[in-house]
Amino acid sequence: MPIAFKQVSYEYSPGTPFAYDALKNVSVEISLGKVTAIIGSTGSGKTTLVQHLNALLLPSKGEVEVLDRVILSSEKPKQLKSLRQQVGLVFQFPEYQLFEETIIKDVMFGPLNFGIEKEEALLRSMHALTVVGLDETFAEKSPLDLSGGQKRRVAIAGILAIDPNVLVLDEPTAGLDPQGSKSMMSLFMKMNRDYGKTVLIVTHDMEHVLNYCDEVIVLNQGSVVLKTDVKSFFRDEKLLDELNICPPKIVSMRRKLNDRGLHLDEGIVDVATLAKEIAGRVK
Amino acid sequence: MANIALGRYMPLNSLIHRMDPRAKILSMLIMLTAIFIPSGFMGYGILAVVIIGVVLMSKLKLNFLIRAMKPMMFMLTFLMVINIFVIKTGYLVVDIFGFKIYSDAIFQTLYISVRLMLMIMITTILTATTKPLDLTLGIEDLLAPFKRFKVPAHEIAMMISIALRFIPTLIEETDRIMKAQASRGVDLQEGKFKEKIMAILSLIVPLFVSSFQRAEDLADAMEARGYIPQARRTRYKQLKRTPKDVVLIISSFSMLALMIAISIWR
Repeated sequence: MPIAFKQVSYEYSPGTPFAYDALKNVSVEISLGKVTAIIGSTGSGKTTLVQHLNALLLPSKGEVEVLDRVILSSEKPKQLKSLRQQVGLVFQFPEYQLFEETIIKDVMFGPLNFGIEKEEALLRSMHALTVVGLDETFAEKSPLDLSGGQKRRVAIAGILAIDPNVLVLDEPTAGLDPQGSKSMMSLFMKMNRDYGKTVLIVTHDMEHVLNYCDEVIVLNQGSVVLKTDVKSFFRDEKLLDELNICPPKIVSMRRKLNDRGLHLDEGIVDVATLAKEIAGRVK
Repeated sequence: MANIALGRYMPLNSLIHRMDPRAKILSMLIMLTAIFIPSGFMGYGILAVVIIGVVLMSKLKLNFLIRAMKPMMFMLTFLMVINIFVIKTGYLVVDIFGFKIYSDAIFQTLYISVRLMLMIMITTILTATTKPLDLTLGIEDLLAPFKRFKVPAHEIAMMISIALRFIPTLIEETDRIMKAQASRGVDLQEGKFKEKIMAILSLIVPLFVSSFQRAEDLADAMEARGYIPQARRTRYKQLKRTPKDVVLIISSFSMLALMIAISIWR
């Protein structure tokens, strides 16, 4: 079973002067086993959309299919735990959710909540910490003594230790330095390629979309404008202009070269191929 | 969580919304005094009618006021239980296997409930129809005469306004952390006692950490802009007294007088 939104609407604080439609009749499918980017300007409903995936929000209208579950507007779904074990959601600035005395305890918090035995949870947590690039020496430190980037790694390890099949990340690289965000993105790629996890990333960074993602969903004012694969997305110049999206550097470079009369293939999205093509033309 | 009604400003446009915050605060204090006068159910009946009239004038939904009272329900139940056990006067109402409930216990509970509900209604009208910033301006002005007695009026007003300003922020933050921990398998509804303690801990610790962080950031930001509490400053927003504010105060005072009269006549 895939992940699918069927005519989903979501309204915040209904029936008050603060009422606000965050999602309007959204229908979209998310492919399993791929890395999907969700993009859109601030307030377009990205965060609201992903919070439906583990039933933190229930749709006001419509239904959400997640793996073997159907989340409906009317009923309060029971046994949310099993769903949340399968769909791991990492919030924006997740470093604020750390609370335990030691890092290892904090990472183990999730697995233990889902009823995993203590020894197993410890093994998983140690593994998750190494995966995010923190060695054993960190295990007994207090999470509050870490730097911002390290805290974020611990928080992500806390979700990885639960070992969900679907990994949802809400702007995981916001506020990280370029090096940090690069290693973060490669980590999610690894989760997808090596462990076969479905990864969803909410992001503003078009470079990340181009370099790491397979598919892209564009949201605008609570509606899905488009869902397509990344390559054809960045090939369509008109569409990018229409959506007011500033393309990745490599794409705009190729565009500029083409404008000056160098007819390069529009499918080129990496530096090496572009360089080779240019070299071929110049000779 | 985002639906908390107590103390929330409702942006509507009504006669009550447009009144001077100073007049509203004063009249709230007078009305609270009136509620404290033991004027019996008749007095409370009159007060209730007047207060509901004000609610209608303020265009607030009664539903909203009822929601504002929800947090009090626990306290009222608690009160009722204590009263039933303690008060043994009046005539016997129920006798279940030697467990006796007397009429005074019920009356006393009702009496206090009505009193509390009226108080909540009055304060909710004030906070729901006055912007937090106007409220603090009003408080600062009302405290100004006490400056002579070394009452730090401006500091108190600033503290209140910062506290009010951060209520929605903290609610949002709580909501966010709750969701983040729910994603890690925290279940506030179900679970054993020990798990529940852990669940609450997982919410409170991050909330405290981020509150302290925010407080420090705010203090730094204020200092960076040269904030000195004692400095003389002008105001962009000038509070103006209008005839309707005078009417409000006078009618509040007449309500108080009426309540005193009823309590003496009784």
